[in-house]
Amino acid sequence: MAHAATLEIKGLNKQYQVRGESLSVLEDISLSIKPGEFVSIVGSSGCGKSTLLKLIIGLEDDFQGELLLDGNRIVGTSLERGIVFQEHRLFPWLTVEQNIGIGLLNNTKLSEEEKRKSVQEHIELVGLKDFASAYPYQLSGGMSQRVAIARALVNRPEVLLLDEPFGALDAFTRAYLQQELQRIWEKEGITMILVTHDVEEAVYLGDRVVVMQPRPGRIKRIVDIPLPRERNRSSAEFVALKEEVLREFADTPVTETELVAELVVEEAYPNIHELKAA
Amino acid sequence: MSLIQTIRNRDWRGAALPIGLLAVWYIVTAFEWVNTKLVVPPEKVVQVAYNYVTHASFIGDVIASLTRDLSGFVLGGVAGILLGVALGLSRWFERIVGPSFNTLKQISLFAWLPLISTWLGTGDSAKILFISLSAFYPVALNTFDGVRGISKAQIEVARVYGFTRWQMVTRLILPAASPQILTGLHLGLIYAWVATIGAEFLLIRSGSGLGNTVIQGRDAFNVELIVFGMLVIGFVGAFFNHIASRIEARLLAWRGDQA
Amino acid sequence: MSDITRPAVYWPNNSKWLQHLLPYVGGFATRLSYAAVGLLLPLALLGLWQFAVTHEWIAIQLLPPPELVWQSLRELWESGDLASNLAISLSRIGWSVLIGSSIGWLLGFWIGLSNTARAYLYPSFEVFSQFPVVGWVPILIIFLGIDEALKIAAISFAVVVPVTVATYKGIVNIPRNLLEVAQVYRFTRIQILLRVVLPAALPSLFSGFRQGIMQAWLALVFVELLASSEGIGYLMVWGRQLMQLDLVFVGVIVIGIVGVSLDLSLRWIESRLQSWRHAAH
Ligand SMILES: Nc1ncnc2c1ncn2[C@@H]1O[C@H](COP(=O)(O)OP(=O)(O)OP(=O)(O)O)[C@@H](O)[C@H]1O
Ligand SMILES: [Mg+2]
Repeated sequence: MAHAATLEIKGLNKQYQVRGESLSVLEDISLSIKPGEFVSIVGSSGCGKSTLLKLIIGLEDDFQGELLLDGNRIVGTSLERGIVFQEHRLFPWLTVEQNIGIGLLNNTKLSEEEKRKSVQEHIELVGLKDFASAYPYQLSGGMSQRVAIARALVNRPEVLLLDEPFGALDAFTRAYLQQELQRIWEKEGITMILVTHDVEEAVYLGDRVVVMQPRPGRIKRIVDIPLPRERNRSSAEFVALKEEVLREFADTPVTETELVAELVVEEAYPNIHELKAA
Repeated sequence: MSLIQTIRNRDWRGAALPIGLLAVWYIVTAFEWVNTKLVVPPEKVVQVAYNYVTHASFIGDVIASLTRDLSGFVLGGVAGILLGVALGLSRWFERIVGPSFNTLKQISLFAWLPLISTWLGTGDSAKILFISLSAFYPVALNTFDGVRGISKAQIEVARVYGFTRWQMVTRLILPAASPQILTGLHLGLIYAWVATIGAEFLLIRSGSGLGNTVIQGRDAFNVELIVFGMLVIGFVGAFFNHIASRIEARLLAWRGDQA
Repeated sequence: MSDITRPAVYWPNNSKWLQHLLPYVGGFATRLSYAAVGLLLPLALLGLWQFAVTHEWIAIQLLPPPELVWQSLRELWESGDLASNLAISLSRIGWSVLIGSSIGWLLGFWIGLSNTARAYLYPSFEVFSQFPVVGWVPILIIFLGIDEALKIAAISFAVVVPVTVATYKGIVNIPRNLLEVAQVYRFTRIQILLRVVLPAALPSLFSGFRQGIMQAWLALVFVELLASSEGIGYLMVWGRQLMQLDLVFVGVIVIGIVGVSLDLSLRWIESRLQSWRHAAH
């Protein structure tokens, strides 16, 4: 069983070289995540959320600052840390079952029999029992994403990073999988970091919601969610917290296109701000 | 679908040309409008074909050619995959070996035959080496392309799940590059057959094989034999092609119908 | 995370210092150093060859010394023998490519554009295209003898198949939506052909042409080895019969040089063609 770990992010900076120029993607990110904590990250597109996860998982070693897991510097990838990528990234030559099995390929704790059982359980968990031997090209986007979730979960890592895992799902499946994720999180005590565009989801699942802002990516605010679980999405406290996050989220001009859109709107309706305030 | 429907639904227009040609061939020879020594009548070809097919030595020739072809193909294919993977995996290996490989590849295949036959004689070892060389280039080239094209996203997945080097090769690189590797093997199979027949034509005086027999037919002005031999050579080639396509489709079923 | 920049496959525990170093070396210097690295292997092989000869590992009849090969190359060049044989081979290629690709383009366009032609011809062509060219040679010899006509016919055969296939595929695979645009603007047939089909199929037309030339090159050496009294292939047969392996080596080298030049010039034309296409858009 996984034991949860403390994740310490200290003064993290990350640049990408784009056509010879250095583009700052993350700037001075500091965050301390307690063992077994559930942290949601929201922020507009391009503010560096995926990049942050990529650093934590250990796929990128060219950055400044410190990344510590239980006090140890993170170097390279490890089976202790799992990730659901933003794109499903299934191997197209493997069936659903085999793709999930990749998660246990190098797991030395389970016997072959236990592995097989665990894979079956996770196929059922994501509701793809009838598709166990289907190839990725036969799946819809949402189904592929569910396979990717199962692949990451099956190994029961100490830290699980989720990059918009429910983005491609219908509302019903999404709500169901949110529940299941919460159940696994409570049962296993895994430290989870969830990147999402859905503020309600962030508030529903997170102990804290980290709001990031773009260019360069920084932490704008961290909102505590001190609500007991199971949370009620329509309770007054829930709605208030959601509004609070949404407010932080909303007044960062989002992407360039959205920025342009805003300017266009302003030009067309000079009194838009009064309208908004009203 | 019933057989009758299958037959009816088929587009039979494609059969018009071969049937027409066959008819013309038959008529011009039957009425002796042409020199029937040169343009032999079809029924004589059938007769010769029957004689040869029932003749043990002809079957032996075909088997000898096929064995040669497949041995060369396997050798060349394996070598090609190894080199292609190595070139695709290591930048430095690619920088050192790549330019030489690309230059040697431009030397027309048959140009090697005089050299090889001087060194190894005209027996099977020379022929097999030559055949494997012909299969080697397309396999190596396509394997290299496939390995180079593996996406960074997939490599990241492999790293996250702690793949060992061996797993990288067997579970990521080979399957991910398999469409191109199979394309290379398919081409290699075609080239190997060309090389087999070509080598048997050119090194006629040694060993037995389909190519030897056909070329001897030319020396003896046995046109029936040549026509028949040519058909056999062609159909073996077409058969290989067909088999290769089938295997490719089978192994690449995971790609859906994008192929 | 873009898949467009595809690096060499990540290899666990790869030493990274070189990758960090490389961008700092100037572009030209890097290229120069790559070229130098690429020369290492040929130079090593040349050294080994020389070494093997001086230490008499292999009989001189089987492995002539490099300087003998070089000397023969120069002598053949100075006497004009090499140039005349090469000229003959190249003219065979030229004529065959001209004939073969004309037939191939006509056939390809015909079966690509006309459904009827496709229904009648394509099945036969498909079977025909799978017959190895070398297999046709004996029957061509019967009808054409072993003179120039044989060589031109055999090499043209080799060109027709890839050119036809590529032309046909290029036309059939033109995106439907392009043709729909043409329909919307009520293009005439000629306009569709000249303004949609031809530009859209141009890359595959050219790629078929390139394959055709490479096949011609393959077939040329084959027929010259089989039946010829001149040409670069004949030079090799002759050298082999005289047990003068240096001549065979010269043949291989010349064939290699011609092959590389053909390939390079075709690539160059292709890249020009592409940039021209982009500029036109
Ligand atoms: N490999 C790379 N090379 C160069 N720039 C990159 C690379 N990866 C990401 N970037 C840049 O870094 C910034 C952050 O990208 P990232 O993918 O982390 O954003 P994100 O917050 O996950 O966005 P989204 O919500 O759309 O997924 C973007 O401006 C992107 O263009
Ligand atoms: Mg992202």
